[in-house]
Amino acid sequence: MVELRGVRHRYDGRLVLNLDHFVVPAGAMLAVVGHNGSGKSTLLRLLALLEAPTEGSVLWDGAPVPRSAPTALRRRITLVEQRPVLLRGTVLENIGFGLRVRGISRADAYKRTAEVADQLGLLSLLERRRTELSDGEVQRVAVARALAVRPDVLLLDEPASSADRAAAAAMYRALATERKARPFTICIASHQLEDAYRWADDIRALAEGRLSPVTPENLFRVELAPAGTDTMSARVGAIEILVTTERAGPAVLAVPPGDIFVSREPLASSARNVLRGRVTRVAAHRPGGGIAVTADVGIELVAIVTAEAVRELALAPDAPVVFSFKASAVQVF
Amino acid sequence: MDFLAEGFRRALALLLAGDAEVLGIALLTLKIAVVATIVACGIGLPLGYLLATRRFWGRRAALTAVNTALAFPTVVVGLLLYGLLSRRGPLGGLGWLYTWQAIVIGDVLLALPIAAALSAAAVQGVDPRIRRTAETLGAGRWLTAWTVCREARFALAAVITAAFGQVVAEIGAAMMLGGNIRGSTRTLTTAVALYTSQGDFGLAVALGLLLIAIALIVNVTLQVLQGKGGG
Repeated sequence: MVELRGVRHRYDGRLVLNLDHFVVPAGAMLAVVGHNGSGKSTLLRLLALLEAPTEGSVLWDGAPVPRSAPTALRRRITLVEQRPVLLRGTVLENIGFGLRVRGISRADAYKRTAEVADQLGLLSLLERRRTELSDGEVQRVAVARALAVRPDVLLLDEPASSADRAAAAAMYRALATERKARPFTICIASHQLEDAYRWADDIRALAEGRLSPVTPENLFRVELAPAGTDTMSARVGAIEILVTTERAGPAVLAVPPGDIFVSREPLASSARNVLRGRVTRVAAHRPGGGIAVTADVGIELVAIVTAEAVRELALAPDAPVVFSFKASAVQVF
Repeated sequence: MDFLAEGFRRALALLLAGDAEVLGIALLTLKIAVVATIVACGIGLPLGYLLATRRFWGRRAALTAVNTALAFPTVVVGLLLYGLLSRRGPLGGLGWLYTWQAIVIGDVLLALPIAAALSAAAVQGVDPRIRRTAETLGAGRWLTAWTVCREARFALAAVITAAFGQVVAEIGAAMMLGGNIRGSTRTLTTAVALYTSQGDFGLAVALGLLLIAIALIVNVTLQVLQGKGGG
Protein backbone atom coordinates (compact mmCIF):
# COMPACT_ATOMS: atom_id res chain seq x y z
CA MET A 1 0.00 0.00 0.00
CA VAL A 2 2.55 2.60 1.16
CA GLU A 3 6.10 1.91 0.21
CA LEU A 4 9.48 3.58 0.55
CA ARG A 5 12.15 2.89 -2.05
CA GLY A 6 15.81 3.84 -1.80
CA VAL A 7 15.03 6.39 0.89
CA ARG A 8 17.85 8.40 2.46
CA HIS A 9 16.49 11.17 4.64
CA ARG A 10 18.69 13.85 6.13
CA TYR A 11 18.21 16.64 8.61
CA ASP A 12 20.86 19.35 8.27
CA GLY A 13 23.05 16.91 6.37
CA ARG A 14 22.79 14.17 9.02
CA LEU A 15 21.47 10.86 7.72
CA VAL A 16 18.54 9.84 9.93
CA LEU A 17 16.86 7.25 7.76
CA ASN A 18 18.40 4.84 5.31
CA LEU A 19 15.93 2.30 3.94
CA ASP A 20 16.32 0.47 0.67
CA HIS A 21 12.82 -0.87 0.76
CA PHE A 22 10.05 -0.57 3.32
CA VAL A 23 6.48 -1.67 2.66
CA VAL A 24 3.36 -1.22 4.74
CA PRO A 25 1.07 -3.86 3.23
CA ALA A 26 -2.67 -3.18 2.99
CA GLY A 27 -4.57 -4.42 6.03
CA ALA A 28 -1.41 -5.10 8.04
CA MET A 29 -0.91 -4.60 11.74
CA LEU A 30 2.68 -3.55 11.60
CA ALA A 31 4.92 -2.60 14.48
CA VAL A 32 8.19 -0.76 14.09
CA VAL A 33 10.32 -1.16 17.17
CA GLY A 34 13.49 0.62 18.05
CA HIS A 35 15.09 2.80 20.65
CA ASN A 36 14.49 6.52 20.88
CA GLY A 37 16.34 8.20 18.06
CA SER A 38 16.33 5.12 15.83
CA GLY A 39 14.39 6.98 13.13
CA LYS A 40 10.87 5.70 13.90
CA SER A 41 9.22 9.12 14.02
CA THR A 42 10.93 10.24 10.81
CA LEU A 43 9.83 7.02 9.12
CA LEU A 44 6.21 7.66 10.14
CA ARG A 45 6.32 11.27 8.92
CA LEU A 46 7.53 10.08 5.53
CA LEU A 47 4.85 7.36 5.40
CA ALA A 48 2.25 9.98 6.37
CA LEU A 49 3.34 12.03 3.33
CA LEU A 50 4.05 14.99 5.59
CA GLU A 51 7.67 15.16 4.48
CA ALA A 52 9.31 14.12 1.25
CA PRO A 53 12.51 12.07 1.55
CA THR A 54 15.77 13.85 0.74
CA GLU A 55 16.52 10.97 -1.65
CA GLY A 56 14.38 8.13 -2.90
CA SER A 57 10.67 7.85 -3.42
CA VAL A 58 7.42 7.12 -1.66
CA LEU A 59 4.92 4.96 -3.52
CA TRP A 60 1.23 4.57 -2.92
CA ASP A 61 -0.30 1.43 -4.47
CA GLY A 62 2.81 1.23 -6.62
CA ALA A 63 2.56 4.77 -8.02
CA PRO A 64 5.14 7.38 -7.01
CA VAL A 65 3.81 10.15 -4.77
CA PRO A 66 4.79 13.69 -5.87
CA ARG A 67 7.09 15.58 -3.48
CA SER A 68 4.17 17.74 -2.46
CA ALA A 69 1.57 15.05 -1.84
CA PRO A 70 -1.94 15.83 -3.10
CA THR A 71 -4.46 16.48 -0.34
CA ALA A 72 -6.73 13.68 -1.59
CA LEU A 73 -3.92 11.17 -1.04
CA ARG A 74 -2.89 12.61 2.33
CA ARG A 75 -6.47 12.19 3.50
CA ARG A 76 -6.12 8.41 3.26
CA ILE A 77 -3.34 8.22 5.83
CA THR A 78 -3.28 9.80 9.28
CA LEU A 79 -0.48 10.13 11.80
CA VAL A 80 -0.78 10.45 15.56
CA GLU A 81 2.48 11.96 16.76
CA GLN A 82 4.41 10.80 19.79
CA ARG A 83 3.59 13.97 21.70
CA PRO A 84 0.48 15.14 19.91
CA VAL A 85 -0.82 18.69 20.14
CA LEU A 86 -4.42 19.75 20.07
CA LEU A 87 -5.56 22.57 17.83
CA ARG A 88 -7.19 25.67 19.26
CA GLY A 89 -10.73 24.94 20.37
CA THR A 90 -12.54 22.26 22.31
CA VAL A 91 -11.98 18.50 22.28
CA LEU A 92 -15.20 18.25 20.24
CA GLU A 93 -13.81 20.66 17.63
CA ASN A 94 -10.51 18.80 17.58
CA ILE A 95 -12.06 15.40 16.96
CA GLY A 96 -14.36 16.94 14.34
CA PHE A 97 -11.57 18.86 12.57
CA GLY A 98 -10.72 16.21 10.00
CA LEU A 99 -14.39 15.59 9.28
CA ARG A 100 -15.15 19.28 8.81
CA VAL A 101 -12.23 19.79 6.40
CA ARG A 102 -13.66 16.93 4.36
CA GLY A 103 -16.88 18.89 4.04
CA ILE A 104 -18.89 16.51 6.23
CA SER A 105 -22.02 18.18 7.62
CA ARG A 106 -21.99 19.42 11.18
CA ALA A 107 -24.63 16.86 12.21
CA ASP A 108 -22.80 13.89 10.69
CA ALA A 109 -19.49 15.11 12.07
CA TYR A 110 -21.00 15.35 15.54
CA LYS A 111 -22.39 11.82 15.30
CA ARG A 112 -19.02 10.39 14.30
CA THR A 113 -17.21 12.50 16.91
CA ALA A 114 -19.47 11.20 19.66
CA GLU A 115 -18.93 7.64 18.46
CA VAL A 116 -15.12 7.74 18.64
CA ALA A 117 -15.17 9.86 21.80
CA ASP A 118 -17.27 7.13 23.40
CA GLN A 119 -14.85 4.40 22.27
CA LEU A 120 -11.95 6.24 23.86
CA GLY A 121 -13.77 7.32 27.01
CA LEU A 122 -13.71 11.01 26.11
CA LEU A 123 -17.43 11.84 26.22
CA SER A 124 -17.12 13.80 29.45
CA LEU A 125 -14.25 15.90 28.07
CA LEU A 126 -15.83 17.12 24.83
CA GLU A 127 -16.17 20.73 25.93
CA ARG A 128 -12.68 20.99 27.44
CA ARG A 129 -9.84 22.93 25.87
CA ARG A 130 -6.27 21.75 25.50
CA THR A 131 -5.09 23.58 28.59
CA GLU A 132 -7.57 21.62 30.69
CA LEU A 133 -6.34 18.14 29.73
CA SER A 134 -3.61 15.83 30.98
CA ASP A 135 -0.98 14.45 28.60
CA GLY A 136 -2.71 11.08 28.53
CA GLU A 137 -6.05 12.71 27.69
CA VAL A 138 -4.45 14.75 24.91
CA GLN A 139 -3.05 11.53 23.47
CA ARG A 140 -6.46 9.85 23.54
CA VAL A 141 -8.06 12.88 21.87
CA ALA A 142 -5.37 12.71 19.19
CA VAL A 143 -6.12 9.02 18.56
CA ALA A 144 -9.87 9.75 18.47
CA ARG A 145 -9.25 12.64 16.08
CA ALA A 146 -7.30 10.36 13.75
CA LEU A 147 -9.81 7.47 13.96
CA ALA A 148 -12.72 9.83 13.28
CA VAL A 149 -11.67 10.38 9.67
CA ARG A 150 -11.58 6.63 8.97
CA PRO A 151 -8.14 6.56 7.34
CA ASP A 152 -6.99 3.67 5.17
CA VAL A 153 -3.71 3.73 7.07
CA LEU A 154 -3.36 4.84 10.68
CA LEU A 155 0.16 5.59 11.91
CA LEU A 156 0.69 5.74 15.66
CA ASP A 157 3.94 7.00 17.13
CA GLU A 158 4.42 5.64 20.66
CA PRO A 159 0.66 5.69 21.26
CA ALA A 160 0.91 4.49 24.84
CA SER A 161 3.77 6.71 25.96
CA SER A 162 1.74 9.18 28.03
CA ALA A 163 -1.14 6.90 28.84
CA ASP A 164 -1.52 4.80 31.97
CA ARG A 165 -2.13 1.10 31.46
CA ALA A 166 -5.92 1.36 31.62
CA ALA A 167 -5.97 4.20 29.11
CA ALA A 168 -3.62 2.31 26.82
CA ALA A 169 -5.85 -0.76 27.05
CA ALA A 170 -8.90 1.40 26.22
CA MET A 171 -7.08 2.78 23.22
CA TYR A 172 -6.12 -0.65 21.93
CA ARG A 173 -9.70 -1.83 22.46
CA ALA A 174 -10.99 1.12 20.44
CA LEU A 175 -8.57 0.29 17.63
CA ALA A 176 -9.72 -3.34 17.67
CA THR A 177 -13.40 -2.33 17.61
CA GLU A 178 -12.76 0.01 14.72
CA ARG A 179 -10.84 -2.64 12.80
CA LYS A 180 -13.64 -5.11 13.27
CA ALA A 181 -16.10 -2.67 11.73
CA ARG A 182 -13.78 -1.70 8.91
CA PRO A 183 -10.47 -3.29 8.00
CA PHE A 184 -7.65 -0.78 7.76
CA THR A 185 -3.90 -0.74 8.09
CA ILE A 186 -2.21 0.19 11.35
CA CYS A 187 1.45 0.90 11.81
CA ILE A 188 2.67 1.46 15.36
CA ALA A 189 6.10 2.75 16.25
CA SER A 190 7.14 1.82 19.75
CA HIS A 191 10.15 1.33 21.91
CA GLN A 192 8.09 -0.96 24.11
CA LEU A 193 8.33 -4.46 22.75
CA GLU A 194 5.26 -5.40 24.70
CA ASP A 195 3.13 -3.10 22.53
CA ALA A 196 4.52 -4.72 19.45
CA TYR A 197 4.05 -8.28 20.68
CA ARG A 198 0.49 -7.63 21.72
CA TRP A 199 -0.58 -6.10 18.49
CA ALA A 200 1.41 -6.66 15.47
CA ASP A 201 1.26 -9.42 12.94
CA ASP A 202 4.47 -8.09 11.47
CA ILE A 203 7.31 -6.60 13.49
CA ARG A 204 10.27 -4.69 12.08
CA ALA A 205 13.18 -3.40 14.08
CA LEU A 206 14.81 -0.09 13.31
CA ALA A 207 18.26 0.86 14.54
CA GLU A 208 20.24 3.96 13.59
CA GLY A 209 17.83 4.67 10.78
CA ARG A 210 18.22 1.24 9.18
CA LEU A 211 16.11 -1.89 9.27
CA SER A 212 17.82 -4.15 11.74
CA PRO A 213 18.26 -7.78 10.66
CA VAL A 214 18.03 -8.82 14.32
CA THR A 215 14.46 -9.58 15.20
CA PRO A 216 13.24 -8.12 18.47
CA GLU A 217 14.46 -10.17 21.36
CA ASN A 218 13.16 -13.70 21.82
CA LEU A 219 10.15 -13.38 19.57
CA PHE A 220 9.01 -16.50 17.73
CA ARG A 221 6.17 -17.34 15.41
CA VAL A 222 4.97 -20.86 16.37
CA GLU A 223 2.26 -23.50 16.22
CA LEU A 224 1.00 -24.40 19.67
CA ALA A 225 0.21 -28.07 20.27
CA PRO A 226 -1.15 -29.67 23.48
CA ALA A 227 1.63 -30.98 25.70
CA GLY A 228 0.01 -31.60 29.09
CA THR A 229 -3.01 -30.72 31.15
CA ASP A 230 -2.31 -27.03 31.27
CA THR A 231 0.62 -26.58 28.95
CA MET A 232 1.16 -26.26 25.26
CA SER A 233 4.31 -27.02 23.41
CA ALA A 234 5.79 -25.06 20.58
CA ARG A 235 8.56 -26.17 18.29
CA VAL A 236 11.05 -23.42 17.59
CA GLY A 237 13.83 -24.53 15.29
CA ALA A 238 15.49 -27.52 16.89
CA ILE A 239 14.00 -27.12 20.35
CA GLU A 240 10.66 -27.26 22.09
CA ILE A 241 9.30 -24.57 24.40
CA LEU A 242 6.61 -25.33 26.97
CA VAL A 243 4.03 -22.63 27.51
CA THR A 244 1.20 -22.20 29.98
CA THR A 245 -1.72 -21.16 27.84
CA GLU A 246 -5.10 -22.31 26.65
CA ARG A 247 -4.39 -21.10 23.16
CA ALA A 248 -3.68 -23.56 20.38
CA GLY A 249 -2.66 -23.16 16.77
CA PRO A 250 -0.62 -20.30 15.33
CA ALA A 251 0.70 -17.77 17.84
CA VAL A 252 3.59 -15.48 18.58
CA LEU A 253 5.69 -16.34 21.63
CA ALA A 254 7.82 -13.89 23.52
CA VAL A 255 10.27 -14.99 26.16
CA PRO A 256 10.94 -11.91 28.31
CA PRO A 257 14.73 -11.60 28.53
CA GLY A 258 14.51 -10.61 32.20
CA ASP A 259 12.64 -13.80 33.10
CA ILE A 260 15.40 -16.16 32.01
CA PHE A 261 17.61 -17.68 34.73
CA VAL A 262 21.18 -18.00 33.60
CA SER A 263 23.44 -20.65 35.17
CA ARG A 264 26.44 -22.83 34.33
CA GLU A 265 24.70 -26.08 35.32
CA PRO A 266 21.01 -27.08 35.20
CA LEU A 267 19.21 -25.90 38.36
CA ALA A 268 16.78 -27.95 40.36
CA SER A 269 13.80 -25.63 39.95
CA SER A 270 10.23 -25.36 38.80
CA ALA A 271 11.32 -24.03 35.43
CA ARG A 272 9.92 -26.30 32.74
CA ASN A 273 12.15 -24.94 30.02
CA VAL A 274 15.81 -25.78 30.62
CA LEU A 275 18.02 -25.21 27.61
CA ARG A 276 21.75 -25.90 27.36
CA GLY A 277 23.97 -24.04 24.98
CA ARG A 278 26.91 -21.74 24.54
CA VAL A 279 27.21 -18.01 24.97
CA THR A 280 27.53 -16.21 21.64
CA ARG A 281 27.58 -12.59 22.71
CA VAL A 282 27.73 -10.47 25.87
CA ALA A 283 26.76 -6.84 25.40
CA ALA A 284 25.52 -3.88 27.40
CA HIS A 285 21.76 -3.74 27.10
CA ARG A 286 20.57 -0.19 26.56
CA PRO A 287 17.01 0.29 27.81
CA GLY A 288 16.83 -0.14 31.58
CA GLY A 289 20.45 -1.21 32.05
CA GLY A 290 21.77 -4.74 32.60
CA ILE A 291 23.84 -6.95 30.34
CA ALA A 292 22.36 -8.82 27.41
CA VAL A 293 23.72 -12.35 27.21
CA THR A 294 22.94 -14.05 23.92
CA ALA A 295 23.30 -17.81 23.75
CA ASP A 296 22.79 -20.45 21.14
CA VAL A 297 20.60 -23.01 22.91
CA GLY A 298 19.34 -24.56 19.70
CA ILE A 299 17.84 -21.20 18.91
CA GLU A 300 19.27 -17.80 19.72
CA LEU A 301 17.91 -16.45 22.99
CA VAL A 302 18.75 -13.27 24.87
CA ALA A 303 18.75 -13.02 28.67
CA ILE A 304 19.24 -9.85 30.67
CA VAL A 305 21.39 -10.25 33.77
CA THR A 306 23.38 -8.02 36.08
CA ALA A 307 27.04 -7.21 35.56
CA GLU A 308 27.82 -9.11 38.82
CA ALA A 309 26.15 -12.25 37.44
CA VAL A 310 28.23 -11.98 34.27
CA ARG A 311 31.40 -11.83 36.41
CA GLU A 312 30.44 -14.59 38.85
CA LEU A 313 29.35 -17.00 36.15
CA ALA A 314 32.27 -15.98 33.91
CA LEU A 315 29.90 -15.47 31.03
CA ALA A 316 31.93 -14.90 27.91
CA PRO A 317 31.57 -16.00 24.30
CA ASP A 318 31.78 -19.77 23.94
CA ALA A 319 31.24 -20.44 27.66
CA PRO A 320 28.75 -23.24 28.34
CA VAL A 321 25.51 -21.94 29.77
CA VAL A 322 22.02 -23.04 30.79
CA PHE A 323 18.95 -20.88 30.20
CA SER A 324 15.89 -21.75 32.32
CA PHE A 325 12.48 -20.16 32.34
CA LYS A 326 9.03 -21.12 33.55
CA ALA A 327 6.33 -22.15 31.12
CA SER A 328 4.18 -19.42 32.66
CA ALA A 329 6.79 -16.74 31.96
CA VAL A 330 6.35 -17.15 28.22
CA GLN A 331 4.00 -14.58 26.76
CA VAL A 332 1.62 -15.65 24.03
CA PHE A 333 0.20 -13.20 21.53
CA MET B 1 6.88 76.53 28.98
CA ASP B 2 3.95 78.88 28.47
CA PHE B 3 3.86 78.19 24.79
CA LEU B 4 3.38 74.45 25.50
CA ALA B 5 0.41 75.07 27.80
CA GLU B 6 -0.97 77.49 25.26
CA GLY B 7 -0.56 74.83 22.63
CA PHE B 8 -2.58 72.29 24.61
CA ARG B 9 -5.31 74.86 25.28
CA ARG B 10 -5.48 75.64 21.58
CA ALA B 11 -5.52 72.00 20.70
CA LEU B 12 -8.39 71.25 23.03
CA ALA B 13 -10.40 74.17 21.70
CA LEU B 14 -9.83 73.09 18.09
CA LEU B 15 -10.75 69.50 18.78
CA LEU B 16 -13.83 70.37 20.75
CA ALA B 17 -14.99 72.84 18.09
CA GLY B 18 -14.63 70.14 15.44
CA ASP B 19 -12.53 72.28 13.12
CA ALA B 20 -13.25 71.24 9.53
CA GLU B 21 -9.66 71.43 8.35
CA VAL B 22 -8.33 69.43 11.26
CA LEU B 23 -11.05 66.84 10.75
CA GLY B 24 -10.23 66.63 7.05
CA ILE B 25 -6.55 66.09 7.74
CA ALA B 26 -7.31 63.44 10.34
CA LEU B 27 -9.69 61.55 8.05
CA LEU B 28 -7.22 61.62 5.16
CA THR B 29 -4.47 60.34 7.45
CA LEU B 30 -6.72 57.53 8.64
CA LYS B 31 -7.76 56.67 5.08
CA ILE B 32 -4.15 56.49 3.86
CA ALA B 33 -3.02 54.49 6.89
CA VAL B 34 -5.88 52.00 6.69
CA VAL B 35 -5.57 51.44 2.93
CA ALA B 36 -1.77 51.13 3.12
CA THR B 37 -1.98 48.75 6.10
CA ILE B 38 -4.54 46.56 4.34
CA VAL B 39 -2.50 46.40 1.14
CA ALA B 40 0.83 45.91 2.94
CA CYS B 41 -0.57 43.18 5.22
CA GLY B 42 -2.58 41.65 2.38
CA ILE B 43 0.69 41.02 0.56
CA GLY B 44 3.09 40.85 3.51
CA LEU B 45 1.29 38.30 5.69
CA PRO B 46 0.98 35.61 2.99
CA LEU B 47 4.56 36.38 1.95
CA GLY B 48 5.71 35.96 5.54
CA TYR B 49 3.80 32.67 5.81
CA LEU B 50 5.45 31.36 2.65
CA LEU B 51 8.89 32.45 3.83
CA ALA B 52 8.30 30.67 7.12
CA THR B 53 6.81 27.44 5.83
CA ARG B 54 8.09 26.71 2.34
CA ARG B 55 11.56 25.50 1.53
CA PHE B 56 12.64 26.91 -1.80
CA TRP B 57 15.81 28.02 -3.48
CA GLY B 58 16.74 31.54 -2.40
CA ARG B 59 14.56 31.49 0.70
CA ARG B 60 17.37 32.56 2.99
CA ALA B 61 18.30 35.40 0.64
CA ALA B 62 14.64 36.51 0.53
CA LEU B 63 14.47 36.54 4.34
CA THR B 64 17.66 38.58 4.52
CA ALA B 65 16.31 41.02 1.94
CA VAL B 66 13.05 41.46 3.83
CA ASN B 67 14.87 41.95 7.13
CA THR B 68 17.22 44.49 5.56
CA ALA B 69 14.27 46.37 4.08
CA LEU B 70 12.99 46.85 7.64
CA ALA B 71 15.63 49.53 8.09
CA PHE B 72 14.98 51.27 4.78
CA PRO B 73 15.01 55.08 5.30
CA THR B 74 11.60 56.53 4.48
CA VAL B 75 13.04 59.46 2.53
CA VAL B 76 14.93 57.07 0.27
CA VAL B 77 11.70 55.22 -0.51
CA GLY B 78 10.10 58.63 -1.10
CA LEU B 79 12.93 59.64 -3.39
CA LEU B 80 12.81 56.44 -5.44
CA LEU B 81 9.05 56.64 -5.89
CA TYR B 82 9.32 60.35 -6.67
CA GLY B 83 11.65 59.45 -9.51
CA LEU B 84 9.24 56.79 -10.78
CA LEU B 85 6.09 58.90 -10.49
CA SER B 86 7.41 62.30 -11.58
CA ARG B 87 6.32 63.54 -14.98
CA ARG B 88 9.54 62.36 -16.63
CA GLY B 89 9.61 59.06 -14.71
CA PRO B 90 8.48 55.67 -16.11
CA LEU B 91 5.19 55.88 -14.19
CA GLY B 92 4.70 59.60 -14.76
CA GLY B 93 1.80 58.92 -17.10
CA LEU B 94 -0.33 57.81 -14.16
CA GLY B 95 -0.35 61.35 -12.83
CA TRP B 96 -0.22 60.05 -9.26
CA LEU B 97 2.53 62.33 -7.91
CA TYR B 98 1.17 64.63 -5.21
CA THR B 99 -1.97 62.52 -4.73
CA TRP B 100 -2.97 60.47 -1.69
CA GLN B 101 -2.50 57.31 -3.77
CA ALA B 102 1.21 58.14 -4.11
CA ILE B 103 1.49 58.35 -0.32
CA VAL B 104 -0.26 54.97 -0.06
CA ILE B 105 2.26 53.42 -2.45
CA GLY B 106 5.15 54.82 -0.43
CA ASP B 107 3.61 53.63 2.82
CA VAL B 108 2.95 50.17 1.41
CA LEU B 109 6.59 49.84 0.40
CA LEU B 110 7.64 50.86 3.89
CA ALA B 111 5.15 48.63 5.74
CA LEU B 112 5.54 45.58 3.52
CA PRO B 113 8.91 44.47 4.95
CA ILE B 114 7.51 44.88 8.45
CA ALA B 115 4.48 42.78 7.61
CA ALA B 116 6.52 40.10 5.84
CA ALA B 117 9.47 39.85 8.25
CA LEU B 118 7.44 39.94 11.46
CA SER B 119 4.76 37.55 10.21
CA ALA B 120 7.46 35.12 9.05
CA ALA B 121 8.87 35.25 12.58
CA ALA B 122 5.37 34.85 14.05
CA VAL B 123 4.61 31.77 11.92
CA GLN B 124 8.05 30.27 12.62
CA GLY B 125 7.21 30.58 16.29
CA VAL B 126 4.21 28.25 15.93
CA ASP B 127 4.83 24.66 17.05
CA PRO B 128 5.56 22.72 13.81
CA ARG B 129 3.30 19.94 15.06
CA ILE B 130 0.29 22.24 14.54
CA ARG B 131 0.91 22.37 10.82
CA ARG B 132 1.60 18.63 10.59
CA THR B 133 -1.58 17.93 12.58
CA ALA B 134 -3.74 20.02 10.26
CA GLU B 135 -2.14 18.36 7.24
CA THR B 136 -2.41 14.81 8.50
CA LEU B 137 -6.06 15.37 9.37
CA GLY B 138 -6.64 16.25 5.73
CA ALA B 139 -6.60 20.04 5.64
CA GLY B 140 -5.62 21.51 2.26
CA ARG B 141 -3.13 24.31 1.80
CA TRP B 142 -5.48 27.15 2.77
CA LEU B 143 -7.02 25.47 5.78
CA THR B 144 -3.59 24.48 7.02
CA ALA B 145 -2.43 28.08 6.70
CA TRP B 146 -5.56 29.25 8.50
CA THR B 147 -5.01 26.75 11.33
CA VAL B 148 -1.39 27.80 11.77
CA CYS B 149 -2.28 31.51 11.68
CA ARG B 150 -4.98 30.99 14.30
CA GLU B 151 -2.26 29.74 16.62
CA ALA B 152 -0.13 32.80 15.86
CA ARG B 153 -3.02 35.25 16.07
CA PHE B 154 -1.54 37.39 18.87
CA ALA B 155 1.76 37.79 17.09
CA LEU B 156 0.02 38.44 13.78
CA ALA B 157 -2.20 41.10 15.35
CA ALA B 158 0.98 42.72 16.65
CA VAL B 159 2.33 42.63 13.07
CA ILE B 160 -0.74 44.52 11.83
CA THR B 161 -0.38 47.02 14.68
CA ALA B 162 3.28 47.55 13.85
CA ALA B 163 2.52 48.04 10.15
CA PHE B 164 -0.22 50.55 10.99
CA GLY B 165 2.10 52.31 13.39
CA GLN B 166 4.71 52.65 10.66
CA VAL B 167 2.35 54.17 8.09
CA VAL B 168 0.37 56.43 10.40
CA ALA B 169 3.52 58.04 11.81
CA GLU B 170 5.49 58.17 8.56
CA ILE B 171 6.46 61.61 7.25
CA GLY B 172 9.32 61.34 4.72
CA ALA B 173 7.43 59.61 1.91
CA ALA B 174 4.23 61.54 2.71
CA MET B 175 6.06 64.82 2.33
CA MET B 176 7.91 63.93 -0.87
CA LEU B 177 5.13 62.05 -2.65
CA GLY B 178 2.11 63.94 -1.33
CA GLY B 179 3.63 67.39 -1.31
CA ASN B 180 1.65 68.47 1.77
CA ILE B 181 -1.03 70.14 -0.34
CA ARG B 182 -3.73 71.75 1.78
CA GLY B 183 -7.06 70.02 1.42
CA SER B 184 -5.66 67.26 -0.75
CA THR B 185 -2.54 65.50 0.53
CA ARG B 186 -1.89 67.12 3.88
CA THR B 187 -1.62 64.41 6.53
CA LEU B 188 -1.28 64.78 10.28
CA THR B 189 2.49 64.28 10.23
CA THR B 190 3.17 66.69 7.36
CA ALA B 191 0.79 69.23 8.88
CA VAL B 192 2.53 69.01 12.27
CA ALA B 193 5.87 69.67 10.58
CA LEU B 194 4.44 72.57 8.58
CA TYR B 195 2.63 74.32 11.46
CA THR B 196 5.62 73.89 13.75
CA SER B 197 7.86 75.56 11.19
CA GLN B 198 5.28 78.33 10.77
CA GLY B 199 5.23 78.87 14.54
CA ASP B 200 1.59 77.82 14.88
CA PHE B 201 2.44 75.64 17.82
CA GLY B 202 -1.10 75.17 19.11
CA LEU B 203 -2.34 73.69 15.87
CA ALA B 204 0.74 71.46 15.63
CA VAL B 205 0.14 70.11 19.14
CA ALA B 206 -3.54 69.58 18.40
CA LEU B 207 -2.72 67.52 15.35
CA GLY B 208 -0.03 65.63 17.24
CA LEU B 209 -2.55 64.73 19.92
CA LEU B 210 -4.98 63.54 17.26
CA LEU B 211 -2.27 61.34 15.78
CA ILE B 212 -1.64 59.76 19.17
CA ALA B 213 -5.38 59.31 19.70
CA ILE B 214 -5.77 57.50 16.36
CA ALA B 215 -2.84 55.19 17.14
CA LEU B 216 -4.31 54.50 20.58
CA ILE B 217 -7.79 53.73 19.26
CA VAL B 218 -6.45 51.33 16.63
CA ASN B 219 -4.27 49.54 19.17
CA VAL B 220 -7.06 49.20 21.70
CA THR B 221 -9.44 47.93 19.02
CA LEU B 222 -6.95 45.27 17.94
CA GLN B 223 -6.35 44.26 21.53
CA VAL B 224 -10.07 43.87 22.15
CA LEU B 225 -10.36 41.74 19.02
CA GLN B 226 -7.43 39.59 20.19
CA GLY B 227 -8.99 39.12 23.60
CA LYS B 228 -12.05 37.40 22.12
CA GLY B 229 -11.86 33.62 22.31
CA GLY B 230 -9.46 31.81 24.60
CA GLY B 231 -7.00 28.95 23.93
